[in-house]
Amino acid sequence: MSSTYHTRMGDGRRIEMTKEELKKDIEAGASEAAKKIKVPDLTDNEKGHLLEIFTAPERVVSVSPEDLIVMSTDVGPDTIHMNYSEFGGVGVPVHTVTANMIAERVVGHDCVMNTFRAGNFKGTSVSIIQVQQDIENLVKNSIAPSLYVGMPNFGAYYKPDGPFDNVGDLISKGKVEEGLKIYEDIIPACKHDISWVAEMTAQVGVDGINIDTAAAGGDGEFLASLQATEEIKEKTEMSVLLNMANHFVLGMHGGIKYDGQTLGNMMPHQQVKVAEKAGVDIFGPVVNTNTKKSVAWNVARAVTAIKECSRVANIPIHPNLGMGVCGAPMVEIPPIDAVSRAAKALVEIGRADGI
Amino acid sequence: MSKEELLEQLSESIINIDEAAGMHAIENALAEGLDPVEIIEKGLSAGMLEIGNRFEDGEVFLPQVMMAASVMAKLVEVVKREIKEGEVTGKSGKIVFGTVEGDVHDIGKNIVKILLQANGFEVYDLGRDAPLTSFIERAKEVNADIVASSALMTGTMQGQAALETMLREAGIRDSVKTMVGGAPCTEYWAKKIGANAYAENASEAVKKARELMA
Amino acid sequence: MHGIRTAGDLVMRMQMKGMRLNKAKEYVAQKLGTDVFTLSDEYAMKEIREELGIGTINSVPGQPKGLKAKAKIAEVLDIKIPCVDMLR
Repeated sequence: MSSTYHTRMGDGRRIEMTKEELKKDIEAGASEAAKKIKVPDLTDNEKGHLLEIFTAPERVVSVSPEDLIVMSTDVGPDTIHMNYSEFGGVGVPVHTVTANMIAERVVGHDCVMNTFRAGNFKGTSVSIIQVQQDIENLVKNSIAPSLYVGMPNFGAYYKPDGPFDNVGDLISKGKVEEGLKIYEDIIPACKHDISWVAEMTAQVGVDGINIDTAAAGGDGEFLASLQATEEIKEKTEMSVLLNMANHFVLGMHGGIKYDGQTLGNMMPHQQVKVAEKAGVDIFGPVVNTNTKKSVAWNVARAVTAIKECSRVANIPIHPNLGMGVCGAPMVEIPPIDAVSRAAKALVEIGRADGI
Repeated sequence: MSKEELLEQLSESIINIDEAAGMHAIENALAEGLDPVEIIEKGLSAGMLEIGNRFEDGEVFLPQVMMAASVMAKLVEVVKREIKEGEVTGKSGKIVFGTVEGDVHDIGKNIVKILLQANGFEVYDLGRDAPLTSFIERAKEVNADIVASSALMTGTMQGQAALETMLREAGIRDSVKTMVGGAPCTEYWAKKIGANAYAENASEAVKKARELMA
Repeated sequence: MHGIRTAGDLVMRMQMKGMRLNKAKEYVAQKLGTDVFTLSDEYAMKEIREELGIGTINSVPGQPKGLKAKAKIAEVLDIKIPCVDMLR
C-alpha cells in the first residue's frame, strides 16, 4: 500500500501527498472558508469523508445512483463548435444546432444550451435575429430543456467597446465620484439588454435563460442581473438560471443595494437569498480556486461554502465546477481525477442539486 | 511607545482612512527618532498592503481602497520632506502595464494599478487590448524596471509568452523584470514562459513587484 | 444524470421550475409511475421512455423526437413547455 496519494495543486500539477498532509490541507481549507466566507466549519465526519474521497485509489470517483445530479453545463454544447479562445471550445466544424444535438444525443447532457459567439448580452442584442433562428431550429429538434446563455459583462459598456466612459480608468485616476456615477448609469443599460434578449429568445420558445458570470464587473452588474430577473419573470414564463463569477461580489461601488441589502462583498449563502427574492429558479454559486494550494485544500474550502449556501437555499443550487472554480484546477483541461473528487464532495457534503 | 507600536499606528491610520490620525502618527514617529524611510515602508505601506488584502478578501470596497490610497499619497508627501537629500526611499520603480492584445478585460488590471500606484510605483498604463509592440516601445521610452501583463483568457495568455520573446528580440529583456497575472495564469505558467514573477491578486502584485525591485 | 439516456432532462425541467433535487426526482418518479432509483437506470428508462413516447437517446424510426416528444413530456409531467404551446 502506497504511503502517498496522487493528487494535484490548484494549477493542475500532479503531486504526491501523505494521508496526514491531505488531512491537514482539508482542515485548513475548510477553516479558511469558515473564517473568510463566514460560514460554519465542516464537521469532523465531513472532513473524514473528504479524506476518504482524496485517498480513494480510483482515478475517477462517483456517487451512488440515488445521489446522481443534473448538469446545467454552462455553455457546454456550444463548446463543441466554438474555438479555443472563446470558451475553451474544441472547434469541431459544425453548426450550433448540430453541436447541441450531439450534446443531447451523444454526450447525454441534461439540457441544451445555445449562446451567441462571444457570449455577451450586449453583443447578442444586435444579432438577435440570428440567435432566434438558431433557437427555433434547436427547439424543434431537441428533447432536453433549452437555455440561452449570455454574460452581463459590464466591461462591454465602457469605452472603447461601449458608450460610457471607462469606469476603471476614472477610478484609478482618482475621479471616484465621477466613476461611481457612470457605474450607476450602466446598471439600467445592462439590465435592459439582459431582459430584452431574454424576451426575444422566449418569443421563439426557449425554456430558460442563463445569466452567466453575473457580478464579474462588481456589485452594479449583480444588481442589473437581479433586476433583469425580476423583469423577465414578470414578462415571460421562462426559467432564470443565475451563475456567479466569484465567491464574493466585488465591491466596485460599495453603495449598491437590492431589497435593502448591500450587494458588495456578499458571499454565496447571502447571494442565493437575493437571487431567490428576484425570482431566480436555479442559482450557481462559485468559489474560486487558489492555484498555490492543493486540490484537497480548494475542495474543502469550496464545499464548506457551498454546504451553507445549499442549507439556506429554497431553490436548486448548481455550483460552477470547471476550470479554476469550486476546487477544479485552473487549467484548460481540468484533470478528471481532481474534477470527479470535487464533484463527489460538492454532492455528498455540499448537497448540490446540480453542477 | 515602542517602534512596533508606532509603526502599527501609522499602518492603522491608512487602514482606517484617517488622515488626521496619520499626521499625528507621523509626528509621534519622527519625535521618537524613527527613520522617515522606515515610516513609509514599514508603517504606511504596510497599511496600504493590508487594505489591498482586505479588498481581495471582500472586506472593503474599491472606493475605500481609493480613499486609503489618497490618504497614503498625502502622508507620504509629508514624510518625504523629512528625508535628507541623497537619502532615498526604497526604489519603487517604473512599471509598464497592460492587458495583452486580443483581451478586453481591464477591471482586475485597473485594481492592480491602483494598488501599485498607492504603494509608490510609477505605472504606465497601456490599457486593454494593448498591442504587444506597445509594451516594448513604452518600456524603452520610460526605461521601465518591470513589464507587467494581464490576460484573462486562455487564448490571449499566449501573448504573455510572445512578449518574453519580443523583449529578448528588442534586446531589453535583461534590463527589465517581467510579471504576469490574470485568471488563467499560474506560477507554473510564469515559469514556463520565463517571466520573473506571477501574482495571484492585486496585493500580491505589490509584494512581488517589491521583491523584483529589491 | 445523462439527459434523455435516463431521466436527466425531466429532472432538469422540474429544477428549472425551482424544485430542489430530491423533490424534483420524487415528482418525476411519481409522474412516470416509478421510483427515484430507476430514474438513473438506462435499462429501465429506455423502456419507460419508449412506452410513454417521450423520446429515447437512440434514433428509432417512428419513435417521437424533438417537439413531438416534448409535447408528450408536457403532458406526462403536467407542465408547460413554451415551444410546445407555440406549436399548438
